[in-house]
Amino acid sequence: MYYGDTLLVNLDTGTTEQFSFDEVGVFGPGLAAGIGLYEKYGDADPLVIGSGLLTGTTAPASCLGFVVGKSPLTGEVAVSPLGLYAGAEVKLSGFAMIVIRGTSDKPVYLWLHDGVADIQDASALWGRDNWETTDAIRQEMGEGLIQVISAGPACEEGSRLASFSIDYWGSGDTAGLGAAMGARKLKAVALRGLGMLDPEDPEAYYEATMEMLAGSPAEPGFGRLSKGLGAGDVDGWLKPMVHRYRSCFACPAACNTFVKYNEPASVLAPDGVDEPGVMVTSAAAALWLMGGGWEAEPACRAMEAMARAGIDQVRGARELAEKPLKDPAGVAAAVSALTGSAAAGWPSSDRVGSGLFGPWVPPLGSPDEWMEAHRLGYLLGICPTYLLTSGIDRGALLGLCGPASGVELDTGRIAEMLP
Amino acid sequence: MHALNSRQHCDWGQRVKLSDAPHGGGRLGRAAADPAYLRYRRAFEAAGDAYPSVAVYVGAGASHSWMWFADLLERLGLHDIAFVTEEEVTTEGLSRFGVLMVGGGDTYAMAEGMGPGGAGALEGFVRSGGFYHGSCAGGYLVLRGVDRPPFTPFALVDGEMVNVMGSPPEPRCLEHKYLAPYGPDWVFHPVYGEVVLGPGIEGRGFECFASGDIKAPLFGGPVIASMSSVADFTGVSDRAAFLWPRDEAERLLEGRRAVVSASLGGGTAVASGPHLEHPLFVGANTLLAELLLRHLKEAPADTGAPSGRAPSTTPPHGLNPTAATAQVETLLGEIRRQVSNARIVGFGLEKMPITWRIGVKVWEPEKIRTFLDYAWRRLPYLYARALYLDPAELEPLAAGYAEVTRLARSLKITIESDTDSQPEAQSLLTRLKELTASFLSLYFRLRLEARGDHD
Repeated sequence: MYYGDTLLVNLDTGTTEQFSFDEVGVFGPGLAAGIGLYEKYGDADPLVIGSGLLTGTTAPASCLGFVVGKSPLTGEVAVSPLGLYAGAEVKLSGFAMIVIRGTSDKPVYLWLHDGVADIQDASALWGRDNWETTDAIRQEMGEGLIQVISAGPACEEGSRLASFSIDYWGSGDTAGLGAAMGARKLKAVALRGLGMLDPEDPEAYYEATMEMLAGSPAEPGFGRLSKGLGAGDVDGWLKPMVHRYRSCFACPAACNTFVKYNEPASVLAPDGVDEPGVMVTSAAAALWLMGGGWEAEPACRAMEAMARAGIDQVRGARELAEKPLKDPAGVAAAVSALTGSAAAGWPSSDRVGSGLFGPWVPPLGSPDEWMEAHRLGYLLGICPTYLLTSGIDRGALLGLCGPASGVELDTGRIAEMLP
Repeated sequence: MHALNSRQHCDWGQRVKLSDAPHGGGRLGRAAADPAYLRYRRAFEAAGDAYPSVAVYVGAGASHSWMWFADLLERLGLHDIAFVTEEEVTTEGLSRFGVLMVGGGDTYAMAEGMGPGGAGALEGFVRSGGFYHGSCAGGYLVLRGVDRPPFTPFALVDGEMVNVMGSPPEPRCLEHKYLAPYGPDWVFHPVYGEVVLGPGIEGRGFECFASGDIKAPLFGGPVIASMSSVADFTGVSDRAAFLWPRDEAERLLEGRRAVVSASLGGGTAVASGPHLEHPLFVGANTLLAELLLRHLKEAPADTGAPSGRAPSTTPPHGLNPTAATAQVETLLGEIRRQVSNARIVGFGLEKMPITWRIGVKVWEPEKIRTFLDYAWRRLPYLYARALYLDPAELEPLAAGYAEVTRLARSLKITIESDTDSQPEAQSLLTRLKELTASFLSLYFRLRLEARGDHD
């Protein structure tokens, strides 16, 4: 269930071209197409942005998109997730897949909207942090729901800690693909579309997905993750500052936790202080800092600083965890002085990801179960963490492919498409 | 690097549905595909020389609802359409047309814009065999019972509006939609939304009522008392908002006239409270089609009324040379880019709690995107007919939509800064109305030229 063409961006020449999605038909949906396209244009070492078959629909947790590229950290092809609302907006932008090649001679950002691709001058954004960049692009284009995948200052500088950010809140890019953006002078990819996704059988699809949502667990916060890992009570640690929980697109489980520390968490009005706090999107980062003896408020300030700068919060937090700090100025200085010496991963686990996938998803279940959740999740566009924690019927999920696209997808084909 | 080259070919792309949803999916697409229109399309096709040439009023006072006529006429296969202003009405510009359609908006601005000269032109148009259809404001305009300045000269159809009183009770909701001044009195609207219509004396036997009553939207149009009746209000749907207690609102409407018509000379004038042309109401659309067909069948041949232009099957511009076609595609791309940009800003504006009162008409930010959607949905057709387009006719559209994007972004900044946005909103909405009329003129010209082609 895609609409629109595949987009080929050439940053060397500042040009774009579009071609029919049939060209990626041979690879399969979602990440299978993304990797297929990466290989097709592999000589140019592209970045490929895409979404899963069901991304952006009413299917539970259908929030997932991805970026495929060569990790500056390992030199190997890696996948970084696009959660929150960015994955859904990739689908709605009107492009089935986006292949970005070359290096611009000046900072640019891509403005992808309703199947139109514009390469915009980003000279004024270069050097600005992710919060400023998101605000500036939304202001320029006139819409607050534009999703901005941006390369913060750490990405521009090619830091080993570089990680692209989704809007203001960081991301699960543990592979350093943010630095790959920065190296191309690609400051951001901004996405918005007002098209409609059109399932093959809209009524059957809607009914099936509503039935699945009705049976979905809806416990907010990171409790399911920390319990599953046998880690500490991260929700309790954050609780005095919690203002609200927020899910990614179409997800019944609102993991993301917005905390306030620049005004009381009890202030509900949106017209209080301009920047009251941060949305904690990385349970791993929070767990590392909590485990290191940090108090919640300075820990959240550290996560905000990393999100602004475009620093991988997991590795940053792991490095910071060793020296708990309290003073905001000291926290900011410590974030600036991060060296990238720590590896990504989760407390109480040796697992650091596998193959294409970094350790964004918690190490729940057996390695095979973890990998299967990734395959299914990245083909269909369903959050793997949700697959591992919700107990959702995967057969029913696969059964959505028919009413979505008219194509049945069985387990054997999944392994074939994404070994 | 994963070795993927040996992966088995699975023909995925051959079987994935590539949606063309931006071009009209959802409820609108389903309504447009309703087979109920087929009968009327065939009848109009068979009209031969009587194939009607239609003018849609977009001048002073017209809101956005005139665009619904474009949807309706397209569904009926009627492509000989022009969009006219008060200037054309008052300068005998109507003589080229067999049909005039006037939608909703600000009746005061319409009457003042056309003036007594326009009133005379409308009457002359009908008496010489024309078909006038007025919905909502266009209906009030021609009711004989709407008899205060500036409306008095516009009296084509016998009927009194009953939704008028000196001191209407307070509304329960939608206060901004409730009242319009009428001399010392107020025209009020007790129901806003879907109503049910049954056949009046003149509507009996119409095919559209064969399977029962039909639904239509009432957005401030007149509730009429008249001896004649094409359709009466028979109920109110649950999908309406009640500004009065429901039972009182129903008592006011039920049994009253919703659609009335009159024969003058060789022509017909129709006044409708509900918007029969609304694109989501297939039954109401077919009622309007019935009225037009009846008129075409009954109109005397010697009234002097225009019978419509014979549809051309030969493109007047012929095929463009390659260079011009490349220029056309570039310009179409620019139009697409700017319509998309403006729609996105429009969506952003819809989240803001603001309305603008222009004349007696209240405009919501949603209307910005409504205008733009009419162009957006029809752009693929322009691409398909690129060979028949002249770059010179696209350049003003490309520049116009770029201006609209700038105006919309500026308007958003003005609203966010909490300063008066009324002048900017008025400029933007006026520009959008002009541009949409220009765009649709071009679109229907292409449609008309393509009649007989396999498009």
